[in-house]
Amino acid sequence: MSDPSSINGGSALAMVGKECIAIACDLRLGNQSLGLSNNFEKLFQFGDKTFLGLTGLATDVLTLSETFRFKNNLYELREERSIEPSTLANLVSSTLYEKRFGPYFVGPIVAGLNSKTNEPFICGFDSIGCIDFAKDFIVSGTASDQLYGMCESLYEPGLEPEDLFETISQALLNAVDRDALSGWGAVVYLVTKDKVTKRVLRTRQD
Amino acid sequence: MDIILGIKVEDGTIIATSKAATRGISVLKDSDDKTRALNARNLIAYTGESGDTVQFAEFIQANIQLYSMRENDIELSPKATASFVRNQLATSLRSRKPYQVNVLIAGYDTKTDTASLNWIDYLGTQVELPYGAHGYAAFYANSLLDKHYRKNMKIEEGLGLLKLCLKELETRMPIDFKGVYVKVVDKDGIRSIEGY
Amino acid sequence: MSRRYDSRTTIFSPEGRLYQVEYAQEAISLAGTAIGILSTEGVVLACEKKVTSKLLDNDGSAEKLYVINNNMICAVAGMTADASILVNNARINAQSYLKTYNEEIPCEILIKRVCDIKQGYTQHGGLRPFGVSFLYAGYDDRYQFQLFTSNPSGNYSGWRATSIGANNSAAQTLLKKDYKDDLTLKEACELAIKILSKTMDSSNLNSEKLEFATLSLSKVNEGKVLHKIWSAKDIDSLIKDSGVLDDKRDDDD
Repeated sequence: MSDPSSINGGSALAMVGKECIAIACDLRLGNQSLGLSNNFEKLFQFGDKTFLGLTGLATDVLTLSETFRFKNNLYELREERSIEPSTLANLVSSTLYEKRFGPYFVGPIVAGLNSKTNEPFICGFDSIGCIDFAKDFIVSGTASDQLYGMCESLYEPGLEPEDLFETISQALLNAVDRDALSGWGAVVYLVTKDKVTKRVLRTRQD
Repeated sequence: MDIILGIKVEDGTIIATSKAATRGISVLKDSDDKTRALNARNLIAYTGESGDTVQFAEFIQANIQLYSMRENDIELSPKATASFVRNQLATSLRSRKPYQVNVLIAGYDTKTDTASLNWIDYLGTQVELPYGAHGYAAFYANSLLDKHYRKNMKIEEGLGLLKLCLKELETRMPIDFKGVYVKVVDKDGIRSIEGY
Repeated sequence: MSRRYDSRTTIFSPEGRLYQVEYAQEAISLAGTAIGILSTEGVVLACEKKVTSKLLDNDGSAEKLYVINNNMICAVAGMTADASILVNNARINAQSYLKTYNEEIPCEILIKRVCDIKQGYTQHGGLRPFGVSFLYAGYDDRYQFQLFTSNPSGNYSGWRATSIGANNSAAQTLLKKDYKDDLTLKEACELAIKILSKTMDSSNLNSEKLEFATLSLSKVNEGKVLHKIWSAKDIDSLIKDSGVLDDKRDDDD
């Protein structure tokens, strides 16, 4: 009931395809049962081909997105290049572990393509920064149980970009429909080696 | 059970706050103004733990005014003001004794000529909304506004919509909130609307 | 006389001077020249590179030009090691402003913050003041394009065109003569090259002895600030276009 990670609601999901990745989230922000906003994005871009998804307590989603923007901007100035997905993953991990005994109540996911090899990378974290590497899909948020179910049944390896988009969209949409705290719109980012496409999905508004 | 309610319209933002100051079962005052002007075009409305509320609002007010003094009377935009307030609440949340204050910030940005309404709770959850409220009033007001709110309403229409909300709140809220103060923030600044 | 008063930064001399601060400013007037020019379309910063050994193996990034954040760049005259401390500080300050207000830091606020640090070292703290002057080029929605300088004392000032480092008075005399209010960015770049060609001692100007940066607004993406630290190739072609090499030859005749 007063579990911090399910006050505001929201879910996110990432999938690996053939030389591409997709990352998606819902748009709801609520206060317990009351819906406040249907325009609250939980995905943040770093560099050209890397994304971070943050679900959980909304104040921590905002705080961490600002913290990572801060750290990433300094990284880019120092290194004169954009951050790699695997580097971002370790940055997220160490930043979360700094607060080991008073954690941020979030479930981050990272997805992206390596800037040189274009190799897909996805991973997820618990609230204190333990990395969960995966080669297929990563789920997070209040609909994570439903998302596991949808992904287990719909996902197949080596999907082409457009098929991956369809798979991730259906997995997210049908999972959040079975969660009272998620939904109210969705966005999907599809990342291929030379393009990032953003699609806003029309969903039921109840 | 305080009521703070905000409606953004095309050329400004309307804020209504209940006049009753209550403690336990008693109404201590029927002319309590739960707002503070932060600068010429930013107004904060607050509810929450008594004691924390005024202390926090005036702390924010002082900081926003300090910024203008340091920067040759240049004023912080509504977006920057709301971000600053959120940051203070989010920092406070993980301190020994967090501020238990929920706020609405009505602002008008003269650079982009846009009105805005920011909803921020004591956790530091911030959203920019067309209309919003804190506490129980949110349940009644939101359902009414979902039905009747339109984009591109004028201030007069917004005030009409506010009347509708207040009528509903007077019917449904279990205690008398002693009416409301209504303020409008637009390009000309902050002004009170009489007769509520 | 001065020996009693210059072993610490915090002591005034009987004439009311802070020797260490003055020595720091003196050191900068020996460093490579940097000039900045404001135009209607943007700001240009140009510096003279002093160390140009064939054996030097750097990574190709500029040594006297730094990007501070999305809307500011700066040029350094003086001790590079001191500068990198202050630049790092400026970058962190810019990011923490962005974090609290979700807006880019206005140029003057950032410069003021860097100068507060510089001033602090003339009064207490370390053993000596920072041995650097900066030229800052920036853009913000309050005052659009801006050009500032700051020196070791912690003073800063805004300019339409100015110069720091060696021969800065000569450069400023030339700027006073040739600066016009309605310069385009290209004209400002050429003016910068022209002045540097006269103030530098070396006879033939080329990209090995110059660093160049411009700050302008994006034409496609409204409100986005572009900053570019020029490549050697671009600098060489600018030198060619500006025609300073031809003038030189005429002078020789």
